[in-house]
Amino acid sequence: MILTLIRIELLKIFRKWRTYIGFIAIGILVPVIHTAMYYEGQESLDFMTRNLQQSFVFVGNLLNGYFISYIILNALTIHIPFLITLVAGDLLAGEATAGTYRILLTRPVSRFQVVSSKFLTGIIYTNLLVLWLAVMSLGVGLLLFGIGELIVIRSDTIIILDKSDVIWRFMLAYGFATLGMSVVCSLAFLFSSLVENAIGPIISTMAVIIVFIIISALDIDVFKSIQPYLFVNYILNWREFFNDPLDFPRIVESVSILLAHLVLFFGTAVYIFKKKDILS
Amino acid sequence: MKNLFLVLLILIGINAAYSQSKNPDEILKRVTETFEMIKDYEVDVLINVNVKFLKMPDRKAKIFYKQPDKIFVESEGFALLPKQGLNFSPLTFLQTAHTALIDRVEELNRINTTVIKVIPIGNKSDIILSTLWIDESRNLIMKIESSTKPDGSIVIEFQYSKIDDNFYLPSTIVFTFDVDKVYFPTGITGEMNSESEKKDKKNDIAKQGKVTITYSNYKVNQGLSDELFKKESPN
Repeated sequence: MILTLIRIELLKIFRKWRTYIGFIAIGILVPVIHTAMYYEGQESLDFMTRNLQQSFVFVGNLLNGYFISYIILNALTIHIPFLITLVAGDLLAGEATAGTYRILLTRPVSRFQVVSSKFLTGIIYTNLLVLWLAVMSLGVGLLLFGIGELIVIRSDTIIILDKSDVIWRFMLAYGFATLGMSVVCSLAFLFSSLVENAIGPIISTMAVIIVFIIISALDIDVFKSIQPYLFVNYILNWREFFNDPLDFPRIVESVSILLAHLVLFFGTAVYIFKKKDILS
Repeated sequence: MKNLFLVLLILIGINAAYSQSKNPDEILKRVTETFEMIKDYEVDVLINVNVKFLKMPDRKAKIFYKQPDKIFVESEGFALLPKQGLNFSPLTFLQTAHTALIDRVEELNRINTTVIKVIPIGNKSDIILSTLWIDESRNLIMKIESSTKPDGSIVIEFQYSKIDDNFYLPSTIVFTFDVDKVYFPTGITGEMNSESEKKDKKNDIAKQGKVTITYSNYKVNQGLSDELFKKESPN
């Protein structure tokens, strides 16, 4: 039964124009970044490694598909949440706006099944969006720029990973990014269960993410005590898969915290939806 | 006490007399002549980089050298080589006008070496002062310590093996050099610093780096074409 519900929900969301906005945005943005990197990537790389070049001679090329994909993943994981909320914020509130809640709930399915199918549809959409990002950035990037060693530049460390040691890291990083984005989806879904209009959850989720990102980025003592409790702090920890050696405790901690948020947001949404007085 | 002082005086005297009897330019000339026997070579290298802020696996590459200072590095993947000393050759090193003087005799890795200080004359050279440890029995440079204007100090330590029963060429070279305090712009990656990175940033970063290059499969005096060195050079 739940599979049928998910199929119906997928049909519903993919009939809406807004569902394609995320795919189109990534489909346009990633080739634009590829083109820019094709022409000016080497200059950017030289700028990033200028300190290192004072002491070392570089042999070979670091401008490759892995490097470009890493940059794209870095840049877009902060912004993809906004694309996800467009769909996730509409999942429940959209029914209220359209006035189809009552019709939906007169079907011989429980409220839990309805809310679960909608949530899983949101998760599937999130997965598809991250998969699309992976195909566009990594797939097309490797076709255009080829493979090579990946240089990871942090504020105080440079890690150069052998080309044979990179692809599994990307797979796990995309998997982790999917989990992070699923938390965003579940937050938008929770907000969606609270209101009757889809705009509210979309704006609220974006506002929460923006505020959390700003608080996470500011190096102020007052915020430092709050930072560990902000889930956005953990969403970007897919970067840990590009560390050498891997910081397993940190990865496990991040995954656990994100999963806990996911369950909490979904559980709360289920509770609210089950108790909800359906009036439209 | 008097005897001890006398012995010390005699030892210093012997050492000084020994140093005076040698001509540093003659020693350096013999080193150059030994190296001049090697017209060109190609060699497989294994590069190990040990710098605190840099994590990378050991890399394999091939180095081609042709007299007097042509060098070409070929690597399947990406490799880093120390900028200072990569194309070191006694031919170019001693070509610039310099003053040399014998400092002392010293045992280095169980090899008796003559320590010569080389001071470049004029402003052309980046090197302020070099100290060379020379194995006179084989006419080989065993160690170099150089202070340079832009890059601080560098120490290069050599180990040799005999190739084709004829030439001594490095089997291992260890470069120890100063590395500038690093700041890496992360703007392009869009990275926000993680908590651990924020903490680490406050720590001082070690300023010394070490690169070990292990050489194997030398092919000496094969008549390498000049065309090879017209390819994109690492320098």
